[in-house]
Amino acid sequence: MGGASIDLLLVGVSHRTAPVAVRERLAVEPDAVPTALAELTALAPVREAVMISTCNRVELYAAVDDADRAAAGLAEVLARRAGVAVGDLAEHLYQHRDAAAVRHLFRVASSLDSLVVGEPQILGQTKQAYEAAVQHGTAGAVLRTCFEEGAFRVARRVRRETAIARNPVSVSSVAVDFARQVVGDFALRHVLIVGAGKMSELAARTLRTHGATLTVINRTRARADELAKRFGAAVADWNDLRGALTAADIVIASTGAQRPVLTLELIKDVRKARRGRPLCLLDIGVPRDVDPSAGELADIYLFDIDALQHQASAHRAEREEEAAEAETVVEEELGRFVKRWRSRQLGPMVSALQAHFQTIARAEVQRVSGGVDEKEKKARFDLMESAIKKLLHLPMTALREADPDEVLSMVQAAQRLFSLSPVAAVPAEDALTVNAEKKAAGS
Amino acid sequence: MSTLTWHEVGAYAIAAAIYLAHLVGLRRSAETAGKVMLGVGLALHFADIGVRCYHGVNPISSTPEAMSLAAFLIALVYLITSLRYPLTAVGAFAVPAVVALILLARLAPAEASVPAMGRLGQAHILLATLGVAVFAFAAALAIVYLFQDRSLKRKQLDRAETRGTPLETLDRLAHRCVSIGFPVFTLAIVTGAIWVARLGLLHGQGTLRPEYLIAVGTWVAFAVLIIARVGAGWRGRRAAWLTLGGFGGTALVVAAYFIRHAV
Repeated sequence: MGGASIDLLLVGVSHRTAPVAVRERLAVEPDAVPTALAELTALAPVREAVMISTCNRVELYAAVDDADRAAAGLAEVLARRAGVAVGDLAEHLYQHRDAAAVRHLFRVASSLDSLVVGEPQILGQTKQAYEAAVQHGTAGAVLRTCFEEGAFRVARRVRRETAIARNPVSVSSVAVDFARQVVGDFALRHVLIVGAGKMSELAARTLRTHGATLTVINRTRARADELAKRFGAAVADWNDLRGALTAADIVIASTGAQRPVLTLELIKDVRKARRGRPLCLLDIGVPRDVDPSAGELADIYLFDIDALQHQASAHRAEREEEAAEAETVVEEELGRFVKRWRSRQLGPMVSALQAHFQTIARAEVQRVSGGVDEKEKKARFDLMESAIKKLLHLPMTALREADPDEVLSMVQAAQRLFSLSPVAAVPAEDALTVNAEKKAAGS
Repeated sequence: MSTLTWHEVGAYAIAAAIYLAHLVGLRRSAETAGKVMLGVGLALHFADIGVRCYHGVNPISSTPEAMSLAAFLIALVYLITSLRYPLTAVGAFAVPAVVALILLARLAPAEASVPAMGRLGQAHILLATLGVAVFAFAAALAIVYLFQDRSLKRKQLDRAETRGTPLETLDRLAHRCVSIGFPVFTLAIVTGAIWVARLGLLHGQGTLRPEYLIAVGTWVAFAVLIIARVGAGWRGRRAAWLTLGGFGGTALVVAAYFIRHAV
């Protein structure tokens, strides 16, 4: 953004720059957010602050007066809270300013900077972080514009216009997706978990969150009871495997047995008893638990671990491709954002310049209008105003279309040439006033 | 064809193109655009039917008019159902069929003489038209079911047709359509039989035409489907094929009437 400075500063660490050992020390629990925000805005050059703290990143976004001093202050706060020396943290920290900071925020909210590109949680986490800052009075006009009019809008557009988050990329999500395409909604669906190993537990957890009714069946009853207890599931007796399969809509098999537990004969038998109801078999065991030829039977839909993994990696590759398209959206939106921001910055200066000329014009019209009737005086005022508008049109257009790096110097030149007092980049807001008062009271 | 009819065909054709583009993967989000164009087509079609009624041509007065009404009903049933379920892939089959039906109906030469129908004849045509429309929608659902079943068997999760309504829902919707269409179609056959018998008695037109036999065969196919589903659990692929077979029968009957009247 160069000259038309937004005074935005970002300091943070993420999965790209810091190992989990560092990130977990820096992470801020939701309960501690108010004090952390207060600590940040207590720093002299910091006017506004938002803190995003997730398992993959801790980032501080701040509207500042003096970026260098503010960056040092923010790093100190982070180091102090983590209980490490600033020097030890320095190698993991990154900072971006102005347009670069806005671009980073846009990429974070759009999930382009995530560990798993396109994951949906980060947008919610970014919103929560911003809302916490609003609630505690540390987000004012600058950050509100960056988050509400920028980041959230870009993230929505990326989701709408690209397929970055369309398909699941984890094996368990692909399995859920497959089952959903066969049986639809999981609410009131019966899921049978065959085997009580670690993989079964993972699958049970995923399906439980989708509202399915779970039943566990295992050769060793005690292990089935243990897993069922953890997930509020029912337990079926191993001897009634055929009955349990008949009652189920989805079966997740992961037993660790050396030969298929769900043989072709058994599945044929079950299929007959199901009277045409489709059965979704998710075989996540290695070696496989379901006879592969069962998948060829009508109304039986079988997905094994290879197919699930293959699908997940295909989706990951697709996301990478879509990410390039999403980057284009981010750049496009960043360009628009900068333009909007600049015209907002110019607004007060344009008004000041117009007011300045009008004051002079009014004085001059008054001076030469002695003995002139009101109608004539008004016509002279109108003439002068029209002339001012026309005279200002060209320089204002040039200012709006100028290279971003030149804008600030042009604004400063105009202020000096016409003796205008410097104007605020954005209108004063309640939150800013509150902060200013807080700081004044503090100092 | 009137300007209004051309406009309605145009709107339907755009909707059909959107749905087909979705099916072949050219367009990602066809839902809203397709529905809007289909809604526009339906509104124009409704106006077109209204204008024809105003000029004394009621929608069940001849085979072409009944075909246009059937097209309207297919589009309407599809639009209403697609408001609740994601049926974009079904639209790729149902909406082009609507366009084809209207074009056939409107471009066919006018009938030389309208047979004396009376209330019984009108009731027969109205019921048959309703039945055909509902069976046509069931057939579109069955086609998508078969495609989707094949994709899932081949573990192709990302095919456009597999990203819509789940298999079980498609099967259930098709069954619901057949369950609604069957009694309507039964009444159509009964009223048709009585009507033909009366015409035969009155005017000596009692010849047994092949379309009567096809209609009865179609009725039997749907009866078997309904009974077998309840009694023997016939669902899924088998039910989809039988639905398509039954609809094929009704399409043959309509085609026979159309050709007889057009030639």
